[in-house]
Amino acid sequence: MSSILSVQNLNKSFGNKHVLHDVSFDLKKGHIVGLVGPNGAGKSTLMKTMLGLFNYDSGSIKIAGETVTPQKHESLSKVGALIEYPGIYPFLTGWDHLQLFADGDHQLIHIQKIISQLNMDSYIKRKARGYSLGMKQKLGIALALVNFPELVILDEPMNGLDPQATKDLRDLIITESQRGTTFLISSHILSELQRLAQDLLIIDEGSIVQQTTMHELLASQGKQTIMLMTSNDHKARQLLKKAKFEMTPDPRVEVIAKDDNTMPEILRLLVEGGVDILDVQRLEGNLESSLLEVLKQSRIKKRLAEEEAE
Amino acid sequence: MWTLVRQESFKLTRKVSTWISTGFLVGVEILFAFLSRIYPQTFVPANMFESLYFSRPIIIFYMIAATATIITMEFQYGTMKQVLYRRYSRGQILVSKWLAVFFYTLYWYVMSTGIALLLKAMLFHHTLSIHQGAGDGMSIFTRGLAISAASLVSLWLLLSVVFLLANLFRNSAAAVSVGIIGYFAAYIVTQLLTILIQKWDWAKWNPVTMTLYPSMMARPGYYQSLLNMQGWQMLLGNFIYIAIFLGIGYYVFNKRNV
Ligand SMILES: Nc1ncnc2c1ncn2[C@@H]1O[C@H](COP(=O)(O)OP(=O)(O)OP(=O)(O)O)[C@@H](O)[C@H]1O
Ligand SMILES: [Mg+2]
Repeated sequence: MSSILSVQNLNKSFGNKHVLHDVSFDLKKGHIVGLVGPNGAGKSTLMKTMLGLFNYDSGSIKIAGETVTPQKHESLSKVGALIEYPGIYPFLTGWDHLQLFADGDHQLIHIQKIISQLNMDSYIKRKARGYSLGMKQKLGIALALVNFPELVILDEPMNGLDPQATKDLRDLIITESQRGTTFLISSHILSELQRLAQDLLIIDEGSIVQQTTMHELLASQGKQTIMLMTSNDHKARQLLKKAKFEMTPDPRVEVIAKDDNTMPEILRLLVEGGVDILDVQRLEGNLESSLLEVLKQSRIKKRLAEEEAE
Repeated sequence: MWTLVRQESFKLTRKVSTWISTGFLVGVEILFAFLSRIYPQTFVPANMFESLYFSRPIIIFYMIAATATIITMEFQYGTMKQVLYRRYSRGQILVSKWLAVFFYTLYWYVMSTGIALLLKAMLFHHTLSIHQGAGDGMSIFTRGLAISAASLVSLWLLLSVVFLLANLFRNSAAAVSVGIIGYFAAYIVTQLLTILIQKWDWAKWNPVTMTLYPSMMARPGYYQSLLNMQGWQMLLGNFIYIAIFLGIGYYVFNKRNV
């Protein structure tokens, strides 16, 4: 598969503050890619640099094979974006905004479609001065999608959205990606990202820590846990501890599954120990804990490397 | 490029301030036309017509503000990112704003001239002819046009500075104040300028002198000898300074992080 976006050895500083360090990655066409990392990691900076808003020190950014610089970036015709917060002219209506930024003819039907997909019909003809946070956010997302982009870059798109709007957005992203649109989405709402993204870019202190798939990350951290509801949780925990099963610090009974044998083993142990089992749940690996683990490991590695260098 | 100019014009037409100020300007013209009709000794009809019923200073102030905000509003509303991350280059974006402001300036001059002609036809139909002589073989109509053309050129000298400052400071207050100070500067320092020019002839080539171009068009004999300059020299000087200031603004805009 060809890559729609390719970033190689990108370095970016603000004055003498080095914010992006040798960032390299490729985005595959039609994938939904999550960009995650702590506050100040450089997510927004990376996105803005890719969009030609910032000058960069070295490296290259190519969209569909064409280089992007702040001065010249015709290939951005293939890109739609929403960075940090949507820019809204208070004196224009939502409809005016969409028309203003829509390129070419035959756009009206498409605009109308996006409006109804995001449920914005009721206020789209009103001046944006009076929009709520979530209304503005939805308008920003609609603006990112208005020109049939091949690549969509969204920075914190779920900001301020209610549950219905979050679901509408998720559905919209999935439909568009099935049609071949690539998405790069940064978000701190990991549960949402876990449902959306196939690939992950993990960034910390301006470096890409890991480029992986969601599936691999969850699997590699081996975080499949089994949660039990029993007639006597206290006794169950004691039995499990004695049998040397690894448990989470959760006050409920949660066992970390090492392999497929774990489940039958603990069931037998508990039944034989006289504890009734009321309910069993397998918890999928969880992005939050996996991510925190990866970040912790990478920081440890980095500290060690730094100490060695001294 | 024309798409971009159209987009900038669209934003202007959707601003309430555009229409309020248009209404205000028409109101001022009507007011001075009536004053001139009632008190022709104080407000001499021929002079009032030549001055487009006092429109030009209003146009200048309004255009200074409009130019500053066409840049700074994008920073204020956070829309600059959206405007820039499209296929258009930064240069195209800035040039489209220049062009939009240029057409906007034309709009004001054409509109105020049209209203002035209309008022003249309605209130001074028999008492004033636009072909009435105004010295140097010009009629009051052609003299009015010449002053308008000169005022447009030196207005653009101010606007080129306002563009530069709006880009540097992203703040319209700074850009507007400097523009307005620039407008008055020439009148305030005319005395000083003439002393300087009499001492060193080359001093006449400073940008502040150039803003006196419309005054020279209104009273050529007086200003030509005072400043030791011809009309064409003034025109050339204005063009050179406009190019310099716009050029620096262009450079700044291309270099900045948004
Ligand atoms: N315009 C700027 N000038 C100077 N430093 C900046 C600028 N923008 C960002 N930075 C710095 O760059 C670093 C990365 O910031 P960035 O906004 O990219 O983080 P982020 O990953 O988007 O964080 P968050 O999750 O909080 O949105 C931070 O240390 C920040 O202080
Ligand atoms: Mg950010």
